[in-house]
Amino acid sequence: MTEEELKSLQVDKQVDARGTACPGPLLEAKRSLTSVPIGGTMEVLSSDPSTNKDVPLWAKKVGHEYLGTLEEAGFWRIFVKRGK
Amino acid sequence: MAQKMLVFCGSDTPEKAFPPFMLGSGALAMDMEVTLFFTMSGLNIIRKGGAEKVTLEGTPKSLSEFIDILRDGGAKLIACSAAFGIIGIEEGDLIEGVECGGVATFVDAAQEADVVLTF
Repeated sequence: MTEEELKSLQVDKQVDARGTACPGPLLEAKRSLTSVPIGGTMEVLSSDPSTNKDVPLWAKKVGHEYLGTLEEAGFWRIFVKRGK
Repeated sequence: MAQKMLVFCGSDTPEKAFPPFMLGSGALAMDMEVTLFFTMSGLNIIRKGGAEKVTLEGTPKSLSEFIDILRDGGAKLIACSAAFGIIGIEEGDLIEGVECGGVATFVDAAQEADVVLTF
């Protein structure tokens, strides 16, 4: 998705994992996505740089769709669509 | 079929005790089957009250929380009975949900695993 599309996306769930080290944000993402309906979207807030790589890898591996990342001041917003 | 990760947990030193759980929880998140094999001083991690004594600054979870995450996620925790006498531990000293196994259990799990990590 484009930056504009991500900015205007109304997510089903937002997970704030800022301040948590790896693998905290990934575990939070996995746990929280189960409460999102299939086809729904989730946003993970993370201040851990490795989450930017880990969440897309995880999503691809387990059948979800990584939609993109927005960089904010000191943290990232990572968007995922639940696939299964 | 899910890929399998086997982790050899041979120490209760914090720098060696935490990575199996950090990587193991990540592997569970990525739909792998995870088995942790505890031997030598690594057995102290799964001794009742043992995980609370192992702490490491900067980790996202305590060792006890990580153990719960792994057990809840379906990971298999195996205590190496060959080291019980060396460490001075008995089956009754172990936390719930831990199976006992010997050398053959580890070798068999290692042969079946797609990934084997040693700490």
